[in-house]
Amino acid sequence: MTTRDSVPVVSIRNLNKHFSEGGRDRVVIDSLDHDFVSGEFTILLGRSGSGKSTLLNLISGIEIPNSGDISIDGASITAMTDKQRTLFRRDNIGFIFQFFNLIPTLTVLENITLPSELAGRKQKEVEKTAMALLERVGLADRRDTFPDKLSGGEQQRVAIARALAHDPMLVLADEPTGNLDEDTGERVMALLLDLTREAGKTLIMATHSPEVVPLADSVFRLHDGQLIATSGHSESDDYQLAFEPILG
Amino acid sequence: MNPTVSTFPLYRTAWRRIRRRPFQYVLFIIGVALGVAMMVSIDLANGSASRAFALSADTVTGKTTHRIIGGPNGLDESVYVALRNELGYKLSAPVVEGYVGSPELGSQPVRLLGVDPFAEPPFRSYLGGEQGAIGTDLGAFLVEPNSVLLSAEFAAANDLALNDTLTIDFAGQTTPARIIGLIETTDALTERGLSNLIFMDIGSAQQVLDQVGTLSHIDLIVEDDAVLAQISAILPANANIETAAARGNAIQQMTAAFELNLTAMSLLALVVGMFLIYNTVTFSVVQRRPMFGILRCVGVTGGQLATLILAEAAVLGLIGSLLGLGLGVILGQGMVGLVTQTINDLYFVVNVQSVTVPAFTLVKGLVIGVAAALFASLLPAIDGMRTPPNATLRRSTLESKITTLQPWLIAGGIALGVMGALFLWIDLGGLILAFAGIFAILFAAALLTPPTTVVLMRILTPIGNRLLGVLGRMAPRDIIRSLSRTSIAIAALMIAVSVIIGLSIMVGSFRQTVEIWLEQTLRADIYLSPPTTTNASDNGFVSQEVMEAALAWPGVERGVSARSIDIFAPDLAQSIDAFAVSDDVSNGNRPIFWSDGDDATLWDRVLAGEGVIISEPFMVRHSISLPPAPLTLQTPSGPREFPVLAVLYDYTSERGVVWLGKELFSAEWGDDRISDLALFVEPGTDIDAIVTAMQTEFADMQALTITSNEGLRAGSLEVFDRTFAITSALRLLATVVAFIGVLSALMSLQLERARELGVLRATGMTLSQLWRLTFLETGLMGSTAGILAMPVGFILAWILIYVINLRSFGWTLQMYLEPGYFVQAFLIAVVAALLAAIYPSLRLGKTVIASAIRSE
Repeated sequence: MTTRDSVPVVSIRNLNKHFSEGGRDRVVIDSLDHDFVSGEFTILLGRSGSGKSTLLNLISGIEIPNSGDISIDGASITAMTDKQRTLFRRDNIGFIFQFFNLIPTLTVLENITLPSELAGRKQKEVEKTAMALLERVGLADRRDTFPDKLSGGEQQRVAIARALAHDPMLVLADEPTGNLDEDTGERVMALLLDLTREAGKTLIMATHSPEVVPLADSVFRLHDGQLIATSGHSESDDYQLAFEPILG
Repeated sequence: MNPTVSTFPLYRTAWRRIRRRPFQYVLFIIGVALGVAMMVSIDLANGSASRAFALSADTVTGKTTHRIIGGPNGLDESVYVALRNELGYKLSAPVVEGYVGSPELGSQPVRLLGVDPFAEPPFRSYLGGEQGAIGTDLGAFLVEPNSVLLSAEFAAANDLALNDTLTIDFAGQTTPARIIGLIETTDALTERGLSNLIFMDIGSAQQVLDQVGTLSHIDLIVEDDAVLAQISAILPANANIETAAARGNAIQQMTAAFELNLTAMSLLALVVGMFLIYNTVTFSVVQRRPMFGILRCVGVTGGQLATLILAEAAVLGLIGSLLGLGLGVILGQGMVGLVTQTINDLYFVVNVQSVTVPAFTLVKGLVIGVAAALFASLLPAIDGMRTPPNATLRRSTLESKITTLQPWLIAGGIALGVMGALFLWIDLGGLILAFAGIFAILFAAALLTPPTTVVLMRILTPIGNRLLGVLGRMAPRDIIRSLSRTSIAIAALMIAVSVIIGLSIMVGSFRQTVEIWLEQTLRADIYLSPPTTTNASDNGFVSQEVMEAALAWPGVERGVSARSIDIFAPDLAQSIDAFAVSDDVSNGNRPIFWSDGDDATLWDRVLAGEGVIISEPFMVRHSISLPPAPLTLQTPSGPREFPVLAVLYDYTSERGVVWLGKELFSAEWGDDRISDLALFVEPGTDIDAIVTAMQTEFADMQALTITSNEGLRAGSLEVFDRTFAITSALRLLATVVAFIGVLSALMSLQLERARELGVLRATGMTLSQLWRLTFLETGLMGSTAGILAMPVGFILAWILIYVINLRSFGWTLQMYLEPGYFVQAFLIAVVAALLAAIYPSLRLGKTVIASAIRSE
């Protein structure tokens, strides 16, 4: 199922994921079929524990489904070996985490060049692109600073630059503003959208922030292991968005 | 309101944590267990040897209070006759004793005691009386020549029965001896005391031990000083009275330094183990800090938290110590063989039948093991106690703390180093203070490890970047970032490796010094001597007939004879080892430590009887200052002073030796028998052919050991190597403990960095890249430990050679450095670290990236 008449970049077919907790199975993704369209910004809503992060992890290949298939740009990530998935992720996916997750022993610039360097490219070769991104996120003067000297907002800006530096086709963001104050969160969100839209990237974001919903091309709620299309503006949505973080 | 809470929930959380992370705690237990095992095994080996000696001495001493001892040729038996007849003193018993071998008794040195059965009862009850009963009458023992008695257990252990015949071998002369009776022992102590002893009638024993007409000593029971004075009055000038206890003590003191050295080395394993404990406990405290914060919020006091941490350490320390005791007893069985071999080679004959496990050793091991665990946990416990309520202090705080601490670590390291140097410099405390100095210096090196690691890693970061890109850049930075963890592992490994370097240089230098000394000293081509039962003593004499035949042998140019003797030195109140020589066997090559004048004429003056020469260990052992005062020796005509003409470097014995001229000895002591003969052959002569021919020719005359120069040197070095075999075991164990230290550090690092590693994997780092990063990090840790261990190991070697050895044994050694010692130790450090990385790397492969990213 596609939401627009466009090319799907991520195709999910009959996807199942369940976790064993205390001897019982908890179904998180239940026979899910879904297509994410290329160049679109999609928001995933849902209560904490509904499986938003798990779905992003499954798409990026850092988690393995119990059954089903995920294809990214025609390549079945579920059929790949661990190494193939890693290499595919390194070349095609950018990941932004709630807790920034910068590598503490690398400088700002080195964090950004990390995926390219892991792919075997010299730091000098990728430095120009990285610096251009650093300029965009407003941290060019902090290139040699280590992450522990940056504020939360600054760290997340570096994380956005890192996610985009190797020119991925898909950017996955897991509550990227969840650990920031409102003002900072808005600025970071704006920056992320600007950069992904400019580069025509597909962005799939799990979030609890109601203010970003109007900016999305599509909004889905993950409920009982299924994605349900929603406007994100209904009363129940407002209620959910307002209280989900508290309800957990 | 009650300000405290029940401690039960606290211990429940501790127990659950142990169940969730058992591996860390298993490493803690292993660290304690190995340290304790090492200590206990050495303690058991030393103790078993000491007890076996004491027991055997007590068995022989019996109720003896004093002994009359004679000169180098023993005591003339007329002294006993005079004592009995002139003085009418009945509480006296003549004894002839020596070490013999017997193939039926396993060819081990066995003590042969020649006694007079009629004089024995007040002294030893083995020949009838309350202690034991003989399976035959004493008459046969007296009448039948060469009949022997031994304990029933000793006989049974060697599959011997009444009336079986033993072949007694003394200095190559064999005598058949029939077992005429078996002594039934009534308790285990007596059984052990008699386990290496055979009794013979004194007349037969004199024949077997080549002591016809002389006694080894006369045992006395004297309670009254006036009686003692009366006895003294009738003694000839070369006889003396000593107390029985003094004799035993003097012999046991010989090994005191050797045993202390072993004990100190065994403690090193425990010190390395303490680093491991500190690491584990710190890690468990840091990991639980948020939980501690919450507990503080709900009313748990800081004191309760500290108690919890220390209680955990005590329980785990107790488990580790108990395991260590078991392992120590098992290791002790192996160690006792090494220790007694060395004692037999260098000091005196001791036969350890079994390893006895005294309760004191076990309690000591338990207490020290738990105390070490508590001591190593003290700092983390204080840290845990200071947890503020609802604390969020995490690793970054710990790391910034160690960064702030660095100037203090440097200052502390320097202060401890200076203190260690002072301990070594001050010669007052003897060995114990010297070992305290070594430990202070090792701790100083450990304190300096974090700052040095930081400097090294900063230097390596750009180099790593250039060579290996991002991984080469990350690895050294990761080590700095986790310095609180990595530096402990590096310090533990550094100490273990520096011990390896220190011991290798010391043993290597010692060996080379001895090798050069043997080359300088043993200049003759062929050596003849009666076969010895033990390496520690000489037996018998080279017969006149053999000596004459050897000197007249075609191709033999000249010979140098030596007589090995025990002479009583009244001023030193003990017997000393001496050699009466006919010439200098080294041809003037013996290295001179000090001489009173012309070195060139030194030996001529000694041979002319102008004075004696002493060895360096003799000088050190008896605290003789330079120039030495004349040495007083007991001669048959009374005490006589001999000027000391020189002090020689010598490695014959740590007791030290005295050389005097053969003529002087013959003139003063009236004895010209020789115990060794060294032959110089004409150039170009086939030495091996002469040795073989002499062995055949002399076989009918006398049992002799005839060895070429090469063979004698090889034999000496073999004894040397056996002596130091135990250090290899100690080195290995210290390395194993350090290896576990690195493994433990890596495991905790991995747990701490789980999220970071997950992010790296999510960002595109392949598993092989992650493995490379892990091995690079551990390789760097191992290399750092190896590099730091080099200077520390060198310092340790310097101390061992120039302080410990000199104070323990009185030997000046030359330090010989070989690159191999350092290269080998460096490789051990790197390989140990890399091996320790294997298991953590395998675990990395099983990490679920998503869970790792979610982890706190």
